[in-house]
Amino acid sequence: MSARVLIVIPAWNEARNLEPVIGELRRVRPADDIIVVDDGSTDDTAAVARRLGVPVLELPLHLGYGGALQGGVKWGLRRGYPVVVTFDGDGQHDPQDVSALVQAVEAGADLVIGSRITAPGSYRGSVLRQGGRWLFGALARAITGLPLTDPTSGLKALGPRAQTLFALARFPDRFPDADALVLVQRARLRVEERPAHMRPSRNAHSMHDGRAVAYTFNMLFSLLAAAVGRQADLRR
Amino acid sequence: MPLRQKVVFLAIALLLLMVIVELVRRRRMRVEYSWVWIASGVITILLILRYDMLIALTTFVGAAIPTSTLFFLCILYLAVLCLNYSVRLSTLTREVKELAQELALLRLEHGRGDTDRPV
Repeated sequence: MSARVLIVIPAWNEARNLEPVIGELRRVRPADDIIVVDDGSTDDTAAVARRLGVPVLELPLHLGYGGALQGGVKWGLRRGYPVVVTFDGDGQHDPQDVSALVQAVEAGADLVIGSRITAPGSYRGSVLRQGGRWLFGALARAITGLPLTDPTSGLKALGPRAQTLFALARFPDRFPDADALVLVQRARLRVEERPAHMRPSRNAHSMHDGRAVAYTFNMLFSLLAAAVGRQADLRR
Repeated sequence: MPLRQKVVFLAIALLLLMVIVELVRRRRMRVEYSWVWIASGVITILLILRYDMLIALTTFVGAAIPTSTLFFLCILYLAVLCLNYSVRLSTLTREVKELAQELALLRLEHGRGDTDRPV
């Protein structure tokens, strides 16, 4: 294996978006390996990815964003990639931002998050989304003490230690956002942030969309669970 | 408790027990799940035969009438059962997730769906 970076794209019914997203990634990051995690799509996401020559991790059923992401991270971990980058399949991330994240991991960080808050001129999303992002950012900061502005960002770079943590069976597998960061902090990983430009999603639905209220409550409980749960095994 | 009531309830409780035993015998229910149900059947029969125990229990918890003790116990029992099922469901969900990921990883590793080298 020559590539040092694996880019994981969790995809649920993203057949329409994969071609531009992967095309742009290949132009900007030609040396990186890409894997698409087909999260039980009902459209031809897997076929499109294969036609583009990208390996597909084809989940037999729909696990949701976190479960798909985790599957991709497991692949990276088993193949021994020093850096695994998670990249949304709906076109909202800019491949240009990846290199700053990768460099930060190579400089010693365990987890680097692409923050949409610190990037000038970045698309922000609806007011509701901004409010949610602010809330979880504030909670994550309060619980972890880490100066993070955008814990719900899907653009992350993971070093080996973060990959191992993300691959744990009981890692938050619904939406690994703020709650995941609490675990990351409790595992004493080095977390950093880099600016990342956000573009409007190509989808009406996108994985983080939908029942915002239910999501908010789930995340709050998940945060609490991460904060007070028994996690002695995280540190090694 | 009037004899008629006793007979009817006993019949129902015995029927329940028979259904449980039959389910286990036909392997429709795992043995580890059956003991809870067998225990509840036996307790029901016990309370029918020894109504004075229910009255003693009512006095003990401070309820006004035996009926409310019975209903309270039933609801408590169902709540605990639901809690138990929630735990089992959580475990199963995690196991299914792990298996699905493992299946996908193995399939990719052994060629199916693998394009090997990105073009």
